[in-house]
Amino acid sequence: MSVLLMRLAGPLQAWGTRSRFVHRHTEAAPTKSGVIGMLAAARGIRRTDPLTELLEVSFGVRIDQPGQVIRDFQVARTLDGRTSMPLTYRYYLADAVFLAAVSGGRALLDGLHDALTHPHFPIFLGRRSCPPAGVVSLGVHDGELTERLATWNWQASAWHQREHKSQRTVRLEILRDAHDGDPITETTPDEPVSYDPTHRQHGWRSVVREHTDVNNPLFRPITDHDPMDALEGWSCT
Amino acid sequence: MYLTRFRINPARRDARKLLTSPQAMHAAVLAGFPHPEDHTRSDARTLWRLDQSTDRQITLYIVSPGQPDLTHLVEQAGWPTIDTWLTRPYQPFLDTLQNGQQWAFRLTANPVRSGRRKDGDDTQRYGHLTADQQTRWLRERTERNGFIIADQPDGQPNLLLHQRQSLRFTRRRGERPVSLVTATYDGVLTIQDVDGFRAALTRGIGHARAYGCGLLTLAPTGRP
Repeated sequence: MSVLLMRLAGPLQAWGTRSRFVHRHTEAAPTKSGVIGMLAAARGIRRTDPLTELLEVSFGVRIDQPGQVIRDFQVARTLDGRTSMPLTYRYYLADAVFLAAVSGGRALLDGLHDALTHPHFPIFLGRRSCPPAGVVSLGVHDGELTERLATWNWQASAWHQREHKSQRTVRLEILRDAHDGDPITETTPDEPVSYDPTHRQHGWRSVVREHTDVNNPLFRPITDHDPMDALEGWSCT
Repeated sequence: MYLTRFRINPARRDARKLLTSPQAMHAAVLAGFPHPEDHTRSDARTLWRLDQSTDRQITLYIVSPGQPDLTHLVEQAGWPTIDTWLTRPYQPFLDTLQNGQQWAFRLTANPVRSGRRKDGDDTQRYGHLTADQQTRWLRERTERNGFIIADQPDGQPNLLLHQRQSLRFTRRRGERPVSLVTATYDGVLTIQDVDGFRAALTRGIGHARAYGCGLLTLAPTGRP
């Protein structure tokens, strides 16, 4: 089995599963349909095209830097200014960093890695207005998805790592597809079936929540300093 | 010379007053000496520093020419029945110091530069606010105080800044508040000129020595 790792970072991201009408929500972590959709866009698959082999991959994501949910109250008018479009509340994740992984056959993943480096359609982080910052693909690696997500080094920004400098390791949350026999944490309507704009379809996806401890490269211990140690043995009369 | 350690009980009301006002703490420290010559002599003065350890314990260290009696501090801000204070003679330790020795050190200082707002004004002290300026401030003062900062195996100086803060407190009612920039330096030093170094340990480094700055203390490096 091979694993394609991706660093999903940007000023804004938005990963929705349950938006209705004027409230466009975001989840706290990238969704499978969002990331598979991004890969399909990079590959040049149109929304009406069948997804075929992309539907077979297994997906997982690690929350390296949780970011903050912010709300945008969006007002839009038609070009001539006469008609007001529906007012919407759009939710975004600001300043978040994720490590996403898909596992599948080597040839498929190599192709996806190439597609991410030279995307056919522009790629974005869940919403068209959220371009990724930096290189997305971290390459294709051998091994299991679970193990790769648990051990890959911490992708958070330097300032975020510095804020945790008193911690040698940090505990990160992993959300991944459940295998047979896993204790399922939750089920979400997030299994992509078709991105056809006229008939978008999602199946139910079983998710497992796990944790992993990774090293903090900016760990700087503050040792306790006791000047009395040097004076051991002398006492006042 | 004496080195004294006193643990502060932050749950007590008087402790909060002492922790928020260096002016009040300075008065409380000096009140621990029955005779004026115990806290100030021509070649030494009383220095103190507040340390916060990783387990949130707050400790007051005092270096003084005479032996202090901190009963009033224990009654106001300590644990009277369990933990009072520990005083040890400092001179025998100072006598064992030698050139070339390495020690882990801690110093809380007031890094400032003198300048004028404009030509013709009196000079005035301006606090160094950035970590770079504060590091440079200490490195410019190591030699005249008889030590150098040791290098780490990777060639970088073994020095870490933390608890950099700007303090504001009032001395007397109605007066303008005092503002003070402090930085705590942790690192490893090598003694170069032991006489100058002893003077630095007993007289302090930099300004604002009455306000908990300038006390340099040593601890074993933990390495052979």
